[in-house]
Amino acid sequence: MSQEKPADKPSHFALSLDSWAVVAALILAVAVRFDLLKKIPW
Amino acid sequence: MATVAVPRAQLKPVPWSVLRLVPGIALLAAVGYAGKFLERFLNTYAKAHHWTFPNIEYVLWAILIGLVISNVLTVPKIFQAGIATYEFWLKVGIVLLGSRFVLADILKLGGISLALVVIEISLSLALMHWLGKVFNLSPKLTSLLAVGSSICGVSAIIAAKGAIDADDEDSTFAIAAILALGALALFTFPLVGHAFHLSDTAFGLWSGLGVDNTAEATATGALYSDAAGKVAVLAKTARNAMIGFVVLAYAIYWAKRGQTTAVGNKAAFLWNKFPKFVLGFLAISLLVSFHTFTKDQASSLANLSRWAFLLTFAGVGLRTNFRELSKQGVRPFIVGAFGEILIAALTFGLVFGANRIWGL
Repeated sequence: MSQEKPADKPSHFALSLDSWAVVAALILAVAVRFDLLKKIPW
Repeated sequence: MATVAVPRAQLKPVPWSVLRLVPGIALLAAVGYAGKFLERFLNTYAKAHHWTFPNIEYVLWAILIGLVISNVLTVPKIFQAGIATYEFWLKVGIVLLGSRFVLADILKLGGISLALVVIEISLSLALMHWLGKVFNLSPKLTSLLAVGSSICGVSAIIAAKGAIDADDEDSTFAIAAILALGALALFTFPLVGHAFHLSDTAFGLWSGLGVDNTAEATATGALYSDAAGKVAVLAKTARNAMIGFVVLAYAIYWAKRGQTTAVGNKAAFLWNKFPKFVLGFLAISLLVSFHTFTKDQASSLANLSRWAFLLTFAGVGLRTNFRELSKQGVRPFIVGAFGEILIAALTFGLVFGANRIWGL
């Protein structure tokens, strides 16, 4: 019988990698929209 | 060609130990930026000395530098966790890439992509099952290879592994085969595309449909041109959107055979497996289409997306290790290779046909 390790316990912040990527991208978009990040070069 | 991915460090959802990720992310940035620097330096140098030198995109340099580091040197453990974040940057890049598409583009190209994706998935699944039978692979390994090659590589295999209770060993084989073949596609697809004088749109569609893993599909398109990379992401995103439906079908199939637990709430299952970055991509595109951002702001978002992809391309090289292939067994690789070559030819035919009908 497998024992649940503490690390396996669901966390309140247990979003998937996909969801975290969306959150990060949306934060960047908001920062650009309100000019907190300006003229990002390439 | 003996390429295969090194087993990737498991990305724990959150909370991440951020400090643990810093060395690897710094390495991704250094390798990616070195690629960008080399592209610019070689172009400037060739121009100054009146040389005729083909423009080699930073994408290829970043991947090559990464490959050299991971195969000639050994990447110390301290970098592994950060290198594994390349998939996170890939998804951030895809969401922000939405700023380069207005909704009309998505409806037109996305519609064509979806139609081709449905045909591609049906034919790929049938083909991989036939090959699995011919080569006498275990049914679950065949299912994993079929899901991986028809939809979206590693994510699909991981999603299917849980849904059909496949062995760890089978999923390692399937992931190794899909990644090895993706690395091969990086170098062969652009050569074929140039030989057939494919337009950027046609090549992008082909990369999105024919290359299995999202990172490699994006890199393959970007190796051809910036515009092709953009279309490759759109086509691949349409393909990724189908993941839940195919994995659900497999889960039901294996549950009926009594080899996995039955799926309870199908809607919840679909939502759970649906790649959320597709929604983020559509949301950003929608905002840009309704002029929520100024032109300069949309351009900044597009550049942020390029920086995120830069980290991804460095990661593609850094996590690919030639020596690992010998440990993975040859049969699944042969089945995968047969399947991939046939799928590449099939998707090439589909894109060629679509080009004739819609003039891509």
